[in-house]
Amino acid sequence: MPIEINKLSYSYKKGTPFEKQVLKDISLFIRDGEFVGIIGPTQAGKTTLAQHFNALLIPGKGSVVVNAMNTADKKADLVKLRHNVGYVFQNPDYQLFAPTVGEDIAFGPRNQNLPTEEIEDRVAEAMDQVGLDYDTFYKRDIFALSGGQKRRAAIAGVLACKPQIMILDDVTAGLDPGGREEIIKVIQKLHTEKEITTIYISNSMDEVAMLADRIIVLDQGQVLFDDQTRDVFLHARKLIEIGLELPEVMSITTRLAEAGFDLPGAVLSIEEAVDAIAANLQQGQVKD
Amino acid sequence: MELTKNITLGVYLPGETYIHNLDPRTKIIAAAILITLLLFIKSYLAYAIFLFLIIAILVIATIPPGYAFSGLKPMLPILVLMWLFQLFLYSTPDAEVIVSWWIFSATDAGLHMGNLISMRVLFLFTVTTILTLTTSIVSLTDGLESLLNPLKKIGLPSQELVMTMIIALRFVLILAEELDKIIKAQMARGVAFDRGNFIQKTKSLFPVFLPLFINAFKRAEELIVAMEARSYTGGKGRTKMKTLHMGRVDLFAGLFILLFSALIIYVILIVPPVI
Ligand SMILES: Nc1ncnc2c1ncn2[C@@H]1O[C@H](COP(=O)(O)OP(=O)(O)OP(=O)(O)O)[C@@H](O)[C@H]1O
Ligand SMILES: [Mg+2]
Repeated sequence: MPIEINKLSYSYKKGTPFEKQVLKDISLFIRDGEFVGIIGPTQAGKTTLAQHFNALLIPGKGSVVVNAMNTADKKADLVKLRHNVGYVFQNPDYQLFAPTVGEDIAFGPRNQNLPTEEIEDRVAEAMDQVGLDYDTFYKRDIFALSGGQKRRAAIAGVLACKPQIMILDDVTAGLDPGGREEIIKVIQKLHTEKEITTIYISNSMDEVAMLADRIIVLDQGQVLFDDQTRDVFLHARKLIEIGLELPEVMSITTRLAEAGFDLPGAVLSIEEAVDAIAANLQQGQVKD
Repeated sequence: MELTKNITLGVYLPGETYIHNLDPRTKIIAAAILITLLLFIKSYLAYAIFLFLIIAILVIATIPPGYAFSGLKPMLPILVLMWLFQLFLYSTPDAEVIVSWWIFSATDAGLHMGNLISMRVLFLFTVTTILTLTTSIVSLTDGLESLLNPLKKIGLPSQELVMTMIIALRFVLILAEELDKIIKAQMARGVAFDRGNFIQKTKSLFPVFLPLFINAFKRAEELIVAMEARSYTGGKGRTKMKTLHMGRVDLFAGLFILLFSALIIYVILIVPPVI
């Protein structure tokens, strides 16, 4: 299910004094099985862009074509499209509503009018995928969940629809480091095992650097970079300029490079950094 | 999908026009006078004059009329229903039947009643909307508090009342924004709000209103904590950062409203009511 976006522009509150253009002339293509990171400073328009992928928003100008279906087409089956393109929202409180975890996860498949056994199977599978133990959590009260558990329940609720594309909108925001790590593991596993096309929106460069094969950088509603992860991070200065923070490893390596170390322009993991710095020290290239 | 687009009540449209710069008390009193007048208007001529005033105010305040009236869009179904009710159910002994269908019959009296009541609601809404569009929340609060101050002597907790009212007004927009997000989150899981029979449609509202109420309570609680953390203990002993000040412009506006009221009262007295 590729997504093809052509010259997309979008304004909120069109035709009122508060009209605000949020997306400007965006073109991009997302292939099957990709792991794409969308980054950008807050208010850059990331959420607005992503909501076009599953037709929650319909283009003002330009077109969005998902699996050869134009979302602006009056005859398009958008309900079916939304089952195929899952979207996990920033805030799980907007999504969770049923009294128990199990019932909430069953909500999506129930909307597909599946037989009861199939729904139950899907709920069990989705809970397993996100690491919520079935026996412990199936009947657990939604309000008794911790922040991290709520996110996982929300992800499971979308997974139970069996999407082929999964959009994760800032799902680690506001979690403690342990909670973040768990969510990231879940997402990574889904991508590698189920080969779900994953679109990961985040403010955290560390997460995107670690997860994504390709990164789209948005700034003020425009695509600034759209490239392989490593190549995007070569533009370190520009990224900082628009208000993003480099991954932690890179903020160290760029400083070392300024101090005379001979390091590559983009360093994405601690292992890489360690190797490169060690090589420098062995060769004795550094003066002090 | 944008719910908040058509919400104009409680929205402030910043500006530096004559109307924006009036003392909030002037605007509140003027709105109160206009609303009172509206309750007595029973002729099309008076409504026409009133419309003229509304448009003049919109022009002076540089509010696009299309925007000011767009807030009525969500109310339209109710207005139409109300109009139909009056049309078919209201009648006077000497009324003439214009259409009849099955057990229903519409009279000219019903038609006029429907028109008058719909216009009254329309104008009431527009006057209030213009007030909030041209007055920031802070000035609105200050103005209302200052006007209600004398009532404190008879034990009315005016500051608390105003605070409650203003918060309620703010929540209209906040809740609409939340509703928008919640609807999207549920649509993402395949809810089709427009499909199915009545029972299915009603059921599809649960996943939307439950999170809305829960989040509203949560927000209210957060607000309480935020207010208490800043030592809010009610209106007693609070002072103002900005003091209100009436100037010549306010005098002028006041005189104008008085003249206008005289005109409308004159019309009310000489033009016979349509019903
Ligand atoms: N429903 C809406 N109505 C009006 N304006 C909106 C709406 N949603 C978003 N905006 C505006 O659109 C702009 C882009 O918002 P968007 O949520 O797409 O940014 P974002 O990159 O996802 O930001 P964040 O990192 O904070 O999530 C913002 O200026 C925001 O105020
Ligand atoms: Mg966002």
